Amino acid sequence: MSVLDKLRLGGKTALVTGAGRGLGRAMALDLAEAGADIIVASRTQNQIDETAALVRTQGRRSLAVRVDITDSHSINAMIEAGRAAFGQIDILVNNAGGATKGMFRPLDTIPDTHWHMGVDTNLSGAVYCCRALLPSMVEQGGGKIINITSGFGVRAAKNNYMYTAAKAGLINFTRALAMNYAEHNIQANLILPGIFPHDDPELIEFWRGGKFIPVGRVGQDAELGPACVFLASNLSNYMNGQMLALEGGGLAGGQAPCGFAPVVPLEEDSV
Amino acid sequence: MSLAAFSLADKNALVLGASSAIGRAAACALAEAGADVAVGSTLATPREQEAVLTCRDAIQSQGRKSLARTIDAANEADVQALVEQTHSELGTLDILVNAHDLPFAKPLRDISSKEWCRVLEVNLTGVYFACRAAADPMLAQHSGRIINIVSLLGERGMINGSAYCAAQGGVLNLTRALALEWARSGITVNAVGAGWTEGMGLLKDTAVQEQLRRYLPQKRLAQPSEVGEAAVYLASDVAGFITGQTVWLEGGALSHL
Repeated sequence: MSVLDKLRLGGKTALVTGAGRGLGRAMALDLAEAGADIIVASRTQNQIDETAALVRTQGRRSLAVRVDITDSHSINAMIEAGRAAFGQIDILVNNAGGATKGMFRPLDTIPDTHWHMGVDTNLSGAVYCCRALLPSMVEQGGGKIINITSGFGVRAAKNNYMYTAAKAGLINFTRALAMNYAEHNIQANLILPGIFPHDDPELIEFWRGGKFIPVGRVGQDAELGPACVFLASNLSNYMNGQMLALEGGGLAGGQAPCGFAPVVPLEEDSV
Repeated sequence: MSLAAFSLADKNALVLGASSAIGRAAACALAEAGADVAVGSTLATPREQEAVLTCRDAIQSQGRKSLARTIDAANEADVQALVEQTHSELGTLDILVNAHDLPFAKPLRDISSKEWCRVLEVNLTGVYFACRAAADPMLAQHSGRIINIVSLLGERGMINGSAYCAAQGGVLNLTRALALEWARSGITVNAVGAGWTEGMGLLKDTAVQEQLRRYLPQKRLAQPSEVGEAAVYLASDVAGFITGQTVWLEGGALSHL
């Protein structure tokens, strides 16, 4: 089999949460491009209908399922609906998550409800999805879990508490999955997207076009999909509990401001 | 995106350390993905000469252009000459894979300074020579992919591994530093992290292999191809926003405490 053929996902079914727009939609469409049928899930019906229609224009089957990612009953129902439609689910992409502006506030002003909402949205939802799906993945002899974390899962930011804690939790939850399900031929890995403003001019302005990112630009949604295909494919079968970061080099540095570049020649007598 | 976006057609690659199992697998995978691939050895020995010639033949039998040269990774002139030969015979240099692997393990107090220097020179300094030589064409065309193969021992320690671990860790952090330095010059610099892999220099002892199989979460070693093939993704156009990163193919080994 050619190395590029190993990227093919024909005959597989992928469930992508948060797939109504942005990165989730980009990943869903590229998984479809690689041959997978797609279960498109999120809370907003018209958005998932749109993504599902786009999947069908690629000649793949799709199913749009509304889900409240903070509610395990809603998640169990989504998994059931997916299995009923496609027989089995081979690839799970836990992409749903995010934070509203109101979530970023000093620690002593965070009400319990905000804390729980932030952690449920960005961590518990992925846990519920895995819990509901993994037994059948074991039974069918294997599968792929792809969890979407964030730069804030490994680095902190001001007044960012539940998002950063939940995304960090998701990273080690993924390692735990890798440890426990490795023998069942299930690989669990992470994608860490950097700054992706989804072509929104306001967001691009907010992130100053990515000036502070080593490569000097922000990410394009379309760049995430191929990473997802790679992790969903047979090309990554020995990769487990790992993180693939697409972030333009920020994490390689981080101990000094972007562009920090002192010059210190060797003293003459030390050559 | 179509899967053709992962293709390396019309790209030219140079794989150093193609005499190692992983290097050879990477070279063949790049060729399979459409690249023309030049290969170089790690040591200038008859055994390695045969290995790179076999690798060249395997690439050519896939219908890709190739050339092979026996070099010593630590010989700056050798490395420079191979980069120049690749550039002149293939036309450009788009992808550089550094897969040198000179295995070595000894208690620290038994390591002679000569041994220490040799292990560091081949495994680490050789990568520096190659990156510097490849920078000329890559910076001129404002695009390039450098992919360094490192082992688990670049990230974790091992008894008797001091010299090898230092060299591998050096390559890993050289990768991050160079990623930043060339981030705005169109060159990405990443690493493929190899788990315990069949055919690895350090794993000649079958009892050691068995011990690792029992320990690893996936209960098996990696095939060289599984590690080498990851270079195809990092070398492709669709990986342009990834730099300074390590893609580990290690069967869950790093998730252990």
